[in-house]
Order: sequence, then structure tokens, then C-alpha cells
Amino acid sequence: MPDLTLTPTPPLDGYAQDFAGTRLAEASELAIVAVATPAGGETALEAAVKAAYGTGTPAPGASILSKDGKARLVWSGPDQMFLLFTHDAPDAEAGVAAALGQAGYCTDQTGVWAALEISGPGVRGALERLCPLDLHPDAFAEGAAARTVMEHMGAFVIRTGSDAFLLLSASSSAKSFLHAVELSVRNTA
Amino acid sequence: MTQTNRIGGRLIDRSRSLSFTFNGRAMQGHPGDTLASALLANGQQLVGRSFKYHRPRGIFSAGSEEPNALVQLRRGAAQEPNTRATVAELFDGLEATSQNHRGPLEYDLLAATDLLAPFLGAGFYYKTFMWPKSFWEKLYEPAIRSSAGLGRLSMEPDPDRYDHGYLHCDLLVIGAGPAGLSAAVAGGRAGARVILADEDFRPGGRLNAETLEIDGAPGHDWARTALAELAAMDNVRVLSRTTVYGAYDHGIYGALERMTDHLPASGGKPRQVLWRIYAHRAVLCAGATERGIAFGNNDRPGVMLAGAVRAYVNRWGVAPGKRVAVFTNNDDGWRTATDLRAAGVDVAAVVDSRGDVTMSLDGARVETGGAIVDTAGRKGLNRITLQNGDRIEADCLAVSGGWNPNVHLTCHQRGRPTWRDDIAAFVPGGALPPGMTVAGAAGGALTLAAALREGRETANTALEDLGFTASREPAPKAEDEAAGITPFWHVAASRKRAWVDLQNDVTAKDVKQSHAEGFRSVEHLKRYTTLGMATDQGKTANVLGLAILAQAAGRSIPETGTTIFRPPYTPVPIGAFAGRARGRDFRPYRLTPSHKWATEQGATFVEVGMWLRAQWFARPGETGWRDSVDREVEMTRNSVGICDVTTLGKIDIKGRDAAEFLNRLYVNGFAKLSVGRVRYGLMLREDGIAYDDGTTARLGENHYVMTTTTANAVTVFRNMEFARQCLWPDLDVHLISTTDGWAQFAVAGPNSRNLLRKVVDAAHDISKDAFPFMACAEVTVCGGTPARLFRISFSGELAYEIAVPARYGDAMIRALMAAGEEFGAIPYGTEALGVMRIEKGHAAGNELNGQTSAHHLGMGRMISRKKDCIGNAASERAELSREDGLRLVGLRPVDHGAKLDAGAHFIERGDASPSMASDLGWMSSVAYSPSLGHSIGLGFVRRGDARMGDIIRAYDPVRGKDTEVEIVSAHFIDPEGERLRA
Repeated sequence: MPDLTLTPTPPLDGYAQDFAGTRLAEASELAIVAVATPAGGETALEAAVKAAYGTGTPAPGASILSKDGKARLVWSGPDQMFLLFTHDAPDAEAGVAAALGQAGYCTDQTGVWAALEISGPGVRGALERLCPLDLHPDAFAEGAAARTVMEHMGAFVIRTGSDAFLLLSASSSAKSFLHAVELSVRNTA
Repeated sequence: MTQTNRIGGRLIDRSRSLSFTFNGRAMQGHPGDTLASALLANGQQLVGRSFKYHRPRGIFSAGSEEPNALVQLRRGAAQEPNTRATVAELFDGLEATSQNHRGPLEYDLLAATDLLAPFLGAGFYYKTFMWPKSFWEKLYEPAIRSSAGLGRLSMEPDPDRYDHGYLHCDLLVIGAGPAGLSAAVAGGRAGARVILADEDFRPGGRLNAETLEIDGAPGHDWARTALAELAAMDNVRVLSRTTVYGAYDHGIYGALERMTDHLPASGGKPRQVLWRIYAHRAVLCAGATERGIAFGNNDRPGVMLAGAVRAYVNRWGVAPGKRVAVFTNNDDGWRTATDLRAAGVDVAAVVDSRGDVTMSLDGARVETGGAIVDTAGRKGLNRITLQNGDRIEADCLAVSGGWNPNVHLTCHQRGRPTWRDDIAAFVPGGALPPGMTVAGAAGGALTLAAALREGRETANTALEDLGFTASREPAPKAEDEAAGITPFWHVAASRKRAWVDLQNDVTAKDVKQSHAEGFRSVEHLKRYTTLGMATDQGKTANVLGLAILAQAAGRSIPETGTTIFRPPYTPVPIGAFAGRARGRDFRPYRLTPSHKWATEQGATFVEVGMWLRAQWFARPGETGWRDSVDREVEMTRNSVGICDVTTLGKIDIKGRDAAEFLNRLYVNGFAKLSVGRVRYGLMLREDGIAYDDGTTARLGENHYVMTTTTANAVTVFRNMEFARQCLWPDLDVHLISTTDGWAQFAVAGPNSRNLLRKVVDAAHDISKDAFPFMACAEVTVCGGTPARLFRISFSGELAYEIAVPARYGDAMIRALMAAGEEFGAIPYGTEALGVMRIEKGHAAGNELNGQTSAHHLGMGRMISRKKDCIGNAASERAELSREDGLRLVGLRPVDHGAKLDAGAHFIERGDASPSMASDLGWMSSVAYSPSLGHSIGLGFVRRGDARMGDIIRAYDPVRGKDTEVEIVSAHFIDPEGERLRA
């Protein structure tokens, strides 16, 4: 039997490119696990998250870094958050489920999303052409997270630094999404 | 040609020259010029022909209100018609041509149309070209269109790029004249986020065109200082060359920024950007537009608005004439005379319609209580005739009938302007768009000190409203200039045609005729005469027109009212609205994880929703799609085929009440589905109609994975989320889409198990007994990669679906194909998928078309009576559940050589006159079955389940076909299901 070991291909093939003033790069090893709060289990989940990640759960519109800075907890909807962390094996869900015990319902979302980091002084100018959200630091401070639509595609926008954002959009349309972001960068470079 | 009329100019750079052409003639201008100012500097008074009568026309205004000077810019595909020369920024190499003439501009062959003017009044076309009716489309309209009109399109794709964007601010200031600059400075100093948008390439508004002083310095210097202060503020963004064209709901404004229109080429960047501006507050400082006076032959080149004449003299250093006369009904018109005089231009006369005026200009002839009844000059003005018969030589006439505040944006949400007698103009009235206030001339404050004060105060009020503390810095000092006016609209004594709307060739007589013929509402006047239509939207014409209508009707102007202003304020190219959405980028597309591999295999793709799916995989020697599809079906049924089914919706369902939740969604029961098993389910709409089906697998005690159809994936998820959050919030159930998260492949055919045994790790027993039909499990493949295996079959064969995390999908299809090589495994596309499901009698989108119930689909007995579900009660409505209703059946042509067509209707064999009443149903899906060797169909037939073996007709008047078909079981292949349970 031939050797049939499977090798993963990230949705944007590990894309990375520098433009004048802006860097675009796929976060190709970013694992994403959704955690839903069981009805009536808010307190238990809060405690489990505190124990596992050293932080509380994120409020709407926000994300928080775990105490060790390795995971980002992002509010993703009512009774639901996303855990984002670097992990390159297809067992992220099991790890989070183990860390939280039975306190939350975990679903792997890694393959659902393509993750694109955009950073540099030109980043806000580029995103202005694409993102309907107000990304002024007064309105969207570091750590802020929101879901929106860009060029017809649903997306998460997470501010990871003063000039840095993490964008998540569906992996199936990732190439269209990258094109939209790239074009915005080129149009404003 | 030299710049014979250039007399100085403070806001142009005379140290540099720009070359441009007009109708092929080389001319020169300077940076800071508009095309209009440069044309005037070169003595080019005649710039176009009028819309209807082909009358010679010149530059009338100095701004975006221009009705006459519409030109075509650039050439080839980049040619843009109907550009206002008054706002086109001059650049080196600009090519401009005039519009709407046959032959040279100076000798337009269609100028003869003007001789027919007595016959071509308002409503002429409506009255004349009515008969014969068929001539309108073929003859009249094309002939009229080719003789009347504006510029021409290149008929080539627009080579330019456009973009969209989003901006946010506390305070949006619309217009950067004295009021707007004051407002923006106030906002900037208070620390608010301010956007100042101005349509001009040089912000400053009338300050650039006037000689008035602020803080003891020329107004344009103050404007420059204010702009420098604003430019230095991080919290202020000045958008010049940007027109705010519409006020929409929730404080949203549309704006068009012209990024590269002033450059010879755009260098690959967007030419224009359409901004959506979200503003907490907006201050409208759009200024005012001057209007003319209707008198005989007032449309000759050389007749201009008085404020525009001042602008050309002061801002651009251009004398629009050597000897200029002024005709005014207000004090402001006099400033044109004084500014002309100060610039050394000969003032021929000042004619003021007011009798009680004491103003004078040394050495100039002044006619108070006077009026102009006629003008002369073939291609440009050379003489005016006063009401008393005196004739005065003049090559330019500056006319001022007063100023209309630019209320447009205040009306975009149905605000109705109100009339102010003291300024003889409409001002913003009624309900303004929420968050909008008005300052300066746009609100009727037509003088400088008032505009500066209002801009500051209005902004400060808005800022305090938002919680900012207003800056205490003092307001700039200026004086209010004289601005008295006595309304005067129309020189009634004039016997010649007096133009009201220059762009649409509407005269005072047309307005009166409209009234006489019963078109008395302003809205009817507009439609009957075209007053106020086209690119300028009547900016210089509307108020004049309705004043004349009011006079004709014996009503006041406010009683007569105004037409509705709608966006856009000035024209916006369609390309700007489209933005990037053209060609391949019209919308996003979704790709499955095996897309790259499928492309390598030469797949033909089909768009399904936004997905691109492999439709078939052509092989060498195949002469058409049928060859490929037939082969894919045969190979799958004989050995094994593989199909990417990633596009089916996948919804992860978790929670203690997940089983109960599914019970309430599906018509059939799910409570007793055991872990490791899959069940087919059917969902109804609330009205009882079937809307989606699929399988749901129970992977754990509280964990299910549902599949939906590709097309309905989003709708089903949305409806489920609604049910979860709103219908049954007490249930512990959680949903998340994992459609994109898993690459899923159907592996179908008698060798599918043999193939999968090579891929699924040995620890997992997938034998017939250990993993029977409708089993599911979480397994590992290829040495440890997690996967999900489902034994389900859409094709009717022994079949599985195997899912791996999406990023392993590319590797997985390659592994499956490699493992299948010894069995002759082939990939199959959506066509073969469709053929096999029709052969098996499975319903799909064609059958779940929004008209059919579970009973129609033959699934009436699936509806569980032991529980309730969405649509359950409504599905029992008599018409949906009647025993003699439609039933899904199979159809086979009696003549096996006949080809069936979906969409045909069924009638009885002996039906001599097919009608709605005798209609038996319709054919929903058809395919050529390679397994059976003939065409087959699925369809709905009244009482079809009780009529097996009957022969009816597939009647298709659309295609002109009438085919005898036999009613058979929908399960053409393996009706006992032995293959899929093998």
C-alpha cells in the first residue's frame, strides 16, 4: 500500500507579502475552537476558563489574551466565544475540551476560517476601502473584536496592535477575501 | 491661440503653463485653472450646442451647477461625456471636445432645428409622434435621440478602476466655504473627529472668488490659513474634490471623491472612490447657487451669472469679456461691476431692475428700473437691447437674479424647503435628516460675517450635543456685505424667447404653456417640459421656472412649491457605484478543498450558489459532456467513483436538548437515533411545505452533525438559530456552521468499501456488519488524521461519505484516487451525481421547489404523529395532504428513443384540449440513464402512486413536444435497496 500520509494545506497556502507600508500574511497555524456556554452553565464555564487560561470570558465586541499570552479569547456571539491559538495539529478541539472539562461545548473551527494578519502604518487606510467598521483607536481599541461583512463576505476583525489586525473569513472564499484585502492595500499604497 | 483674456489671477500658478486641446485646437492654461477658466482665457466663448434647438452656448457658471458647458474629456475608451468644464481641473495634455453638434461646433448642421422652434414647444413630441404607433420605436425615437441630447459614450468597457470605502466621524462638514471652514475649525479645535468635504479642488468656496476681507486680510488668504490649521490636526480629514451627494438614513452620507480625474492617468489606482460616511452630526455648508433672469435671447454665449464673472476675474484672472454689462435685481450683482472695474475691465452698463437703487459706479452707465429685452451676436454676445430701446455694445453680460441656498441635501429625506421673502429664496425647512444642521448661505445667511458666525455656532451646538467642549478662540472678524434684493424673474416685455432652463432648452413660454395645458403642479411642469432634469438637475433653473409658473397661476411661490430633490446632488458615474464589482470580482466565489486537484484533472466547473463545483471530468476522446457523464455513472455503478460533496451545509449541534431540538425541526423522529447512526430527515416551512432535507448523524450523546442542501445551507442555519434563540430559548442547544471546516467526499460503488479499507486506519472496522448502512463514526485515516465516516448513499450504491479537516482535503482526494487506482476509481461531478440520484428516485431542489409537501414527495408517512414539529399542523391542510393529490413518481418514455424535458406538463392520453383543468402535474427532473439506456424522469402526477403502469402524455407546448410516458416507480435502480445495504 502506498504511503498515504496526509499533509495539510492552509487555505491561502501560507501567503505572505509586503507592500509599501503594509504587511499581509496568513496565520496558517492558527487553531480556532468555538466554545458554547451550556444553558445555566455560565458560572462553571467562567471558572473553568479562569482556571485554564487565567482570564475571564470576553464581553461582546472584545477579545482577551490568556494569562500566558498564548491564546486569544474572542466574543463570537451570544453564549459563544472563539479560542485562538497557534497549533498545527488537527486536534485543537480535544485540547480545549480537556482544558475546560465539561464546562463548555467545543467545536473545532480551524478549517472553517482563513486567518489573515494585516499590519503596518497603512493598515487603516487600506481597511477603509473594505471594512464598514470604525477602526479609529477611540472606537476600536487594541483587543476589540467584531464581526462584519466585507465585500459580501462575513469576517471577524480583531485588533491585535495599534497598527495590526487579525482578519478571519470563510476558508472556502479565502481567495476572494485575500483578493479584496490585497486590492485595498494596493489601491491605497 | 494665446490667452488673450488673461488679466492676472491670484489662485493660478502663472509660472507654469499647461497645454490642452479643445476640438483639436491647441491652447494653454495654468495650474489652478478649470477647463472653463482656461477656455475663457483663450477667448473661447462658444463651447457647445444646446440640447434641443442646437443653439450656440457658452460657459454660464463657475461651478457644479453648470447647465451649458458640457464637454467630452479624454479619448478612446476613457472618453467621458457630459463633463462640466467648470469643474474639470486642467492638466497638461487634456483633450476636450464639444458635444451635440453635427459638423463643426461653429457650423452645426442641426442648428436649423432652431428655425423650427415655433413648432417644437413643450409637449411637442407627445402630441406629434403618436401615430402610427409602431413608428415610435423604429423611427421617431431614434431620430429624436440622434438629434437631441448630450455627449456620447465610447461604447467600450470603462478602462478605469473605482473603489468604495467607509469613513466615520463625529462631525461631517459639507462644503468648505466661509461657513464650512468655520465649522470645521470649531470641530477640530474642540477635539472632535471631523471630516470636511468640498467638491472643489481648492477649498474655500466663494472666498476664492470674492474680494471680501476676513481679519483684515483677503478672504482667500484666511481660507488658506484655516485649511493649514485643519491639515495639521490629526482629528480632521479634509477631502477636497469630494462631493457629498446624498443624505441617507441613520446619519449616513454618500460622497464621491475624484482621486485622479485631475491627472493625465490614474497610474493603476482608482479614479474615483465612493465613500459611505457615518456621521454623528452633519453641518451642511453647501453655499448658494446664483440664478438668472428670463429675458429675450438670454442664452447667448457671453451671458453668464454675475457671481461666475467675478469668480473668473478674481480667482482665475480671466476677463470673460472686454466690455461687460451687468443685469441684476440685487446688491450682489453690483459687486461684479466693482470687481470688474477694479480688475481694469470695461463696464458697459449696470442695469438694475429695481427703481429705488442709489448705487452707482463712477463713469459707468447705470439703468435703474431697467430691463434687457433682447441680445444679439451670432456665436457670441455683441449687443444688448434695453426695454427703452437703447442698444449697448457688450461681449459679456453678467446676470444676477439672486441666490438660491443649496438646500438639496436637507430634502433627501423629504424635508420641504420654506420660502423667505427677504432673500427671495427657499431655505431648508420641515424635518431635516436627523443629525443635520445648516449654516451659512445654504441656510439663507448670504453674507460673509453671518456665514462665518453661523458656521462656528452651528458646529459648536452640534459638538456640545455630542459632549465636546467648544473652543473659546474668537471668531474671525468680517463685515456683512450689502445683499438687498427685490425679486424680478422675467422680462415680460421681451417678445423673444426667454430661457429658463438652459440645459433642457425650456423657455418661459414653455412654462406658461404647460400651465395653460393643465400641467400645473411643479412636478407635472417638470415632466411635461423637462425643466430641472438632466445633469444639472435645474440648479440654476428650478426656482426661476416655478416663479414663472406661480405668476402664470396667480399664486405665490411658496404656494406653488418645489419639486423633490433626490440624490445625487451632482452626477455620479455608474462605475463609481459599481466600484470593484465587475467581471470576476462581481461577487466572491467559494472553492472546495479539492478544487486545485480538480483543476489539474481538467474538470469543468459549474457555479452553485457561490461555489464552483466540478460538473464533469472530460477524458481524452470524449466528444461532449454526455460522454463524460455517462462514463462517470457507469464506472461508479460498476466499481467506484468519488465526488466532492463539501458544499453540502454542515451544522454542528451540541447540547443536552439537541435531540429534542431536532425532533422539533424534522418531520420524523430523532429522539431515538442512537449514537453512531445517521438518519434522513425532512424539514418543513411553517406553512407545511417541504423546504430542505438531509442526513443528521449522532456522533455523541449530546452531539449531532446535520447536513443540508448546498443551496439552503445558510437559510437552514438561520432558521435553526431563530428557533433556538426565539422559539425555544429554554432548550440547551448550540449551533455552529462547520460547512467550510470539513472536506467531504462521497465514495460510491461496489468497490467503495475496498477502497476505503486502504485509507481508513485498520483500528476501525468498516465491515458490512460492524459498519452497516446508515452508520457513522469518528475514525482516523492515513495514519492518524482525524476523519468522520458516514455510510450514506445518494447514488443508491454501496456508498460512504468521508470527511477530513478542510486543510487535509487536497491531500485526501489525492490519497483516495491513489488508493482507488487498482479499482479504476474515477472522480465524478455534479452531473453524474444528478443522474444517479434521479435513477435512484431521490428528491432534490427540483422536487423541493417551494410548492410541494411531504405527501407530494411520497413522504407523508414519515411525518411523526407522536410529536410536533415546525410546519406539522399546516402540512395537514386538506389540499396538501389529499389522498388524490400529486405524488412523486418515475416517468419512462414509451418510445425509449424519446428524450424527456423537465417542465413538461402531464395530461391524459386522450385529452384533446389540454387546459389548466386537465393538468395532471409536471416533470421536475430528467436525465439520460446510462444504466437503463434511455431517458428517465421524475415528476409529480395526480394520484400517481395509484397509477403505476398508466400511460400519459408529457405535453410541452413551449418546446412543441408531446411525448407518451409510462408512470413507473421513482426508483429506477435497485428498488429494494440491496446495493446500498451490501
